[in-house]
Amino acid sequence: MSNVKIGESLRRVEDLRFLTGHGRYIDDINLDGQARAVVVRSPYAHATINSIDTSSVADMDGVLLVVTRDDWQREGFKPMPTKSGVKNNKDGTPLSQPDRHALAIDRVRYVGEPVALVVAETLQQAQDAAEALDVDYDELDAVTDPVKALAPGAPQLWDDIPNNLCLDFELGDKDGTEKAFAEADHVVSLDVLNNRVTAVPIEPRGCIASYDASEDKYTLYNASQNVHANRDTFAEVLNIDPAKLDHIAPDVGGGFGAKNSGYPEPPLCLYAAKRLGRPVKWINSRSESFLSDTHGRGQSSRVELALKADGTFMGLRTTTIGGIGAYAWTVGPFTPTGGSARTQGGPYNFPAMYYSGKAVLTNTAPMDPYRGAGRPEATFQTERIVEYAARKLGFDPIELRRKNLMPKEMLPHKTPMGLDVDSGDFPKLFEMTMDMVAKADQAALKAKAEAAGKKYGFAIAPYLECTGGGPKEHAGVTFNKDGSVELAVGTSSTGMGHETSLAQILAAALGIEMGRVKFQQSDTTATPLGGGHGGSRGMEVGGNAVKQAADEIIELAKPIAARLLQSETEEVDFEDGTFKAGASSVSMNDVIEASQDADKLPEGMEPGCLNHSSVFERGIISIPNGVHAAAVAVDTDTGTVEFLGYWVMDDFGTIINPMLADGQVMGGVAQGIGQAFLEDIVYDPDTGQLVTGSLMDYGLPHADEIPNMEIGYYEGEPTKKNPLGVKGAGEAGCVGACPAVVNAVLDALKDDGVTHIDMPLTPQKVWKAIRDKGAHDPKALLGDAA
Amino acid sequence: MEEFTYTRPATADDATGAHSAAEDAMYMAGGQTLIPVLKQGLAMPTDVVDLNRVGDLAGIQVTGDAVTIGAMTRHAVVAASAEVKGAIPALTVLAGGIGDAQVRNRGTMGGSLANNDPSADYPSAVLGLGATVTTNQREIPADEFFDGMFATNLEDGELIKSVTYPIPEKAGYAKFPNPASRYALVGVFVAKTAGGVRVAVTGAGQDGVFRPAEVEAALSADFSAAALDGVTVPADDLMTDMHAAADYRAHLIVVMAKRAVNQANGQG
Repeated sequence: MSNVKIGESLRRVEDLRFLTGHGRYIDDINLDGQARAVVVRSPYAHATINSIDTSSVADMDGVLLVVTRDDWQREGFKPMPTKSGVKNNKDGTPLSQPDRHALAIDRVRYVGEPVALVVAETLQQAQDAAEALDVDYDELDAVTDPVKALAPGAPQLWDDIPNNLCLDFELGDKDGTEKAFAEADHVVSLDVLNNRVTAVPIEPRGCIASYDASEDKYTLYNASQNVHANRDTFAEVLNIDPAKLDHIAPDVGGGFGAKNSGYPEPPLCLYAAKRLGRPVKWINSRSESFLSDTHGRGQSSRVELALKADGTFMGLRTTTIGGIGAYAWTVGPFTPTGGSARTQGGPYNFPAMYYSGKAVLTNTAPMDPYRGAGRPEATFQTERIVEYAARKLGFDPIELRRKNLMPKEMLPHKTPMGLDVDSGDFPKLFEMTMDMVAKADQAALKAKAEAAGKKYGFAIAPYLECTGGGPKEHAGVTFNKDGSVELAVGTSSTGMGHETSLAQILAAALGIEMGRVKFQQSDTTATPLGGGHGGSRGMEVGGNAVKQAADEIIELAKPIAARLLQSETEEVDFEDGTFKAGASSVSMNDVIEASQDADKLPEGMEPGCLNHSSVFERGIISIPNGVHAAAVAVDTDTGTVEFLGYWVMDDFGTIINPMLADGQVMGGVAQGIGQAFLEDIVYDPDTGQLVTGSLMDYGLPHADEIPNMEIGYYEGEPTKKNPLGVKGAGEAGCVGACPAVVNAVLDALKDDGVTHIDMPLTPQKVWKAIRDKGAHDPKALLGDAA
Repeated sequence: MEEFTYTRPATADDATGAHSAAEDAMYMAGGQTLIPVLKQGLAMPTDVVDLNRVGDLAGIQVTGDAVTIGAMTRHAVVAASAEVKGAIPALTVLAGGIGDAQVRNRGTMGGSLANNDPSADYPSAVLGLGATVTTNQREIPADEFFDGMFATNLEDGELIKSVTYPIPEKAGYAKFPNPASRYALVGVFVAKTAGGVRVAVTGAGQDGVFRPAEVEAALSADFSAAALDGVTVPADDLMTDMHAAADYRAHLIVVMAKRAVNQANGQG
């Protein structure tokens, strides 16, 4: 019998390694003879490159190689592909995808864009040479704001992409929505900003590339959360067979989407490694990370809500302009378009919805998925307009939500956005959350806030999101003679604990000791395919791959068990780690042992016959949902916000490991709170220089800014879309957090006339809103552009 | 980082000697600012003279009317000092709120003062208490020590040895942190001393730490938070950055002054 069950809060087996400094991250790896690379990055937001004079550094100490656009063009290397889920404009024409080369070819289009790679014996020598490299630029006008980039007369990033418009998208029933708005008793409209942020993983990006000429084979160690897809991208760029590139991500210190993309530096290092015949190591600095990691969010939206006189929702219309940086990065065009459209309207019953979104190129760093990638934006847009409408029209915000949630009887339901909502009980989770809140005694919390001279605010935010990422996952199981069991999965844990949770699924399913499982991930040599990490897919796709492999292994084992039990395969049942036939039984452990011994195997079966690989393919994405609620105290003298309570009820379907799920929720909420109050990527609008280029100006939340959270799970409505019944937990925290905390602050300030503050709600912005008595233009962001 | 010559003298005399012998030397106290700026290439001295092994520069002495703190005393030591807390509790509040635990375990009072970062905490205590800075050459009154952002009236090579803070009747320090860096966006030190009320503001002034005349006048008449109701501070000479415009800083000076006064009066 196994020592573990699904649903058990197991401590993470990887923590001993991580917490004692024994993790193996990229910078912990050093290969014999390695050289060091430094990227020369553009100092300008937009400029023509006249010349790059490599002779200026060729003779410097230790310099081995300078890779420039000349090498890239001479070698015929390809641009990096865009793999956006939305490929066409609303008129059916393809999206505009400018060539994205690993090095700028004619122009640089954002501060930090790679212009050259300098390789030297030591890091210091490479840094000195990178600094000395003579690049001659002619600066051009830059535009960093996507709304301005669309306007007539704006600087144009690409000669063949008019108005910097990469993708013009729509979804939903436009005419039906217009009709709903025409017939509505109330129409409320508000421009909402989803501020631009970046992930700031604790481990910066980095890689070590090497090349073995004797086998014409490359090996890349890379801080990636998506090794298979990235391998294919790098192979495509370099015109090599993907089978000739082993891509391995060892321990990775945080990703959050920012390590999902195919970035320029790995193919540059692979090329340099081949040229030099030596391993080439590159580690991004923290300052460079702000310039060159993908950013997320960054959308300005006009959100419009149509209601009947009694508050019944009739329609929702959202018009979004989203920046995607200077290039259409890996899936950058998708986030402000299809990514943000899908979950518009959340768990509410909207008879009509329409979403239009433009993905706009600007002279800023590339944008790609950041935890949630569209679902946090959609939820924030929906919840802000609901709260705003309640205030404006005099409805109780809690009652207005309660009234409009989809009743359980409505499910399964396909939303006007085409989302397949199969399972859930939104009113039940809403009431469960209110019950949690009631136990905390809001009157007492309010009295506490007021005793300290602060204003009390409360808000509740139901959310509904969806999973995503690669639909296929591989799980391979190998039983070793020493009793260990190797589990290789193509998912990618960047710290969320797959080493525990996926091993837990295998051990629980097979009924074996969890300590026997040795976990292997993120290695293209270990699994032939893998979807990495993204879209809350770890348990949903990876977990189900493991479960499927285990179920198939049980079937493979039944003939062995039957022989040991002197029975027939058809007579054998399996439960709790034990095979039974009639009154006799044998354990999985014994069957595994027998599977290594030819003498104990039925005819036709060979030792090792239980070693098995399986590929699980997700049919339809799952719908995690839940409710967040926050209570805050606002210091109106300074504009600072303090938490008095935070409550979460989640429906993630089946919970594999509640402790790890808690970690996902808490981390997600922390990132949501960071975005809501602190984090903001700011570019100088005139020069395109990054203002928030370090942690001195880019505010990350500290532990003391994150409240204790009361977290509950409702497992009464598991999805039938996958065998485990899991719905995905990785992103939900940051989906629900921003609207809950922002609406709570605005609740506190309702008597001051404050109706809206754009994120981040910094102390200064909160104070100014109070001072200005809430004066706010609801069309402040899009003006006439919507 | 550029190359430099590193020396680690054992005495103050050796330190000043090493400094004067070098072409372009910098002292390193706790290194909490110097090391980052060296790494970024923002400072490129020929020589770095490390003061961490100079034994006679650290320590705390409390007499009946003054607290003297050695220049190389770490923030954490001041924050945890029962003697300092007994004499000038606001100083332990200030030291205990600098940076984070790692910074407080390395950073020193003298290093902070010599650097005179416009957002550093210590300058407000020195100016607010009317302290005296003792160097290897002389004694400098607080009102003559600071000379604008990142500038002091220390001569080249002059070494801070200690600072003597007169014990006030009461004092308080309240800081509003920058939401990102947690440096002082506005920090206000108030003190009721035998010679009158002194107030010093850090984090806000374009020329670094300063004494806000309006706040000092109001508190001289009545050392209570209520005395500051309706008092405003002009925003003209205050800093504006992405975290706080000058008008917000001007507002925060009065708010933080009230909180500092309440703390001094044992009401907060």
